[in-house]
Amino acid sequence: MVKAAARETTATAPRGPAAAPVMRRLRRRFRGSGSGYVLVLPAMLAAIAFLYVPMALSAYWSFTDFNGLLPPRWVGLANYRELAADPLFLQAVRNTAVFVLLAQGIGPVLGLASAALLNNKLRFRGLFRTAYFIPVMTSLVVVATIWKMLLNSNGLVNVIFGYLHLPTTSWLSNPSTALPSVIAASVWQGFGFETVIFLAAMQAIPREYYEAAMVDGANAWGRFRHVTLPGLRRTIIFVYVIGIIQASQVFDQVFVMTQGGPIESTNTVVNELINRFNSLQLGQASAIAYLLAVVLAFVSFVQIRVFERRD
Amino acid sequence: MRQRRPVRLLLYAIAIVTSAIMIGPLYWMLATSFKPPGDVFASPPKWIPDPWTLANYHDVFTLLPFGRFFINSVIVTLSIVAVNILFDTAAAYAFAKLRFPGRDFLFFLLLITLMVPFQVNLIPLFRIMVALHHVSPYLGVNTYFGLIAPSAIQVFGIFLLRQYIRSIPDEILDSARVDGASEFKILRKIVFPLALPGIATLAIFTFLSAWNDFLWPLIVTQTDQMRTLPVGLALLARKQEINWGDTMAGTVITALPMIAVFLVLQRRFIEGLTSGAIR
Repeated sequence: MVKAAARETTATAPRGPAAAPVMRRLRRRFRGSGSGYVLVLPAMLAAIAFLYVPMALSAYWSFTDFNGLLPPRWVGLANYRELAADPLFLQAVRNTAVFVLLAQGIGPVLGLASAALLNNKLRFRGLFRTAYFIPVMTSLVVVATIWKMLLNSNGLVNVIFGYLHLPTTSWLSNPSTALPSVIAASVWQGFGFETVIFLAAMQAIPREYYEAAMVDGANAWGRFRHVTLPGLRRTIIFVYVIGIIQASQVFDQVFVMTQGGPIESTNTVVNELINRFNSLQLGQASAIAYLLAVVLAFVSFVQIRVFERRD
Repeated sequence: MRQRRPVRLLLYAIAIVTSAIMIGPLYWMLATSFKPPGDVFASPPKWIPDPWTLANYHDVFTLLPFGRFFINSVIVTLSIVAVNILFDTAAAYAFAKLRFPGRDFLFFLLLITLMVPFQVNLIPLFRIMVALHHVSPYLGVNTYFGLIAPSAIQVFGIFLLRQYIRSIPDEILDSARVDGASEFKILRKIVFPLALPGIATLAIFTFLSAWNDFLWPLIVTQTDQMRTLPVGLALLARKQEINWGDTMAGTVITALPMIAVFLVLQRRFIEGLTSGAIR
């Protein structure tokens, strides 16, 4: 109310030539909408320089043969058409799809299982939670470096697999095990995040719901299925949206552990984008970035839709 | 809901085994960093480094300027956190509590960018930084400005703080206005303290992602003098394929500060992350 009144007086005040009333009017004006613009200005300027201009530039470049040296020449949809027929890029798409499906198939389920485990009022629960969560805090580069050592043909994984009479191999130089190995390291790094989120969400579910389910004779699985899972619906959406978006952009682990090899078996979409950036195929790299953006926008749209319908 | 005894024992067994799988690799990193080269892949494995040595730590600092990487990471991370708290709180307050023409449209424009992955902006940002470097040697590629500036805007942060600031009652703000406080003073004296839990959450998210960021620092830095810890470590790991003792010493140096900060501020971290998620 006060603000609206202040704005009205500013708007209807007679305009005098003297400097002092002008200043006073300006100052009063600032209090209305002016200060709003001033406060959003730094963020908006940064957004223009580092979000909108780059977004527009790469959209334009994706329709050109830009190589960073000569001025870009318009080629229409040629980059997208070439990518659609490029076996290297298609392989990267397949690898990324496998990464997303497996990492997101396993990670959140493991997170849910360990949250359900810790929700049993175990003693030392905090300690277990810390153990699951520490890898989340460390960078993917650290995790990838450690696992590169563990997965070495003489590494600890093979030693322990040997004790357990499980098959051993040179995990990262074998084309059929390299991608699953990168996925395993990624799941190891990330599922503690989901554990902590799910655990907090489980603890927010009112006890009475469980008691009511017990009265109705529900066993442990029934309580989990009909009380816990519905209570976690929003959290599950959140975890999957974040998880799929992040997994689709997988790069750091690949850069450290395999550099896309052996024989392209771990080459991912973002790794391929960086390869083309390094070889100055900037038009094609931009097209890859936009294809990724479109797919991710579609994924989050579909997910939110699917979950909303269940309400 | 207490289970029968065997069930509980089973639950403990699962918790202990999985915890060992989580802690084991980190222990192995630490142990390997103290081993002489011949012991790294010794068979049977040496569970405890014996003899142990600090030579790997000495090597790693002579191979690459890890001290400099550390300082770079600290400068870049703290700057990104500070800039974000400043810009995001100001913008979030304006979007939450002030009325000005175009407000909702501007906010919508910002929200749209949340859908766009960073890779879309990567190449143009690099080109912009190359161009800026011709303007001034302190701007653009291979500078602190180049490392920090693209993270100056975090739309997610504005969104998060807006939620917090909306819950501040208008009466408090209006009475301050009646007392003649400017919007900037209100922001500083009322909004900032009241939104502090949200700001702490934002600071934690930003700290984590800035400290662990890899792709952009990899692209925008060109000399060892400007690398951050994750980039320096990745380059060391490529350089030193053979000597895992050295590599693990570098890994410990990269991982330890973050793990230490986390163990000290654990409750704040977990509360911050979950409050952002469960809302």
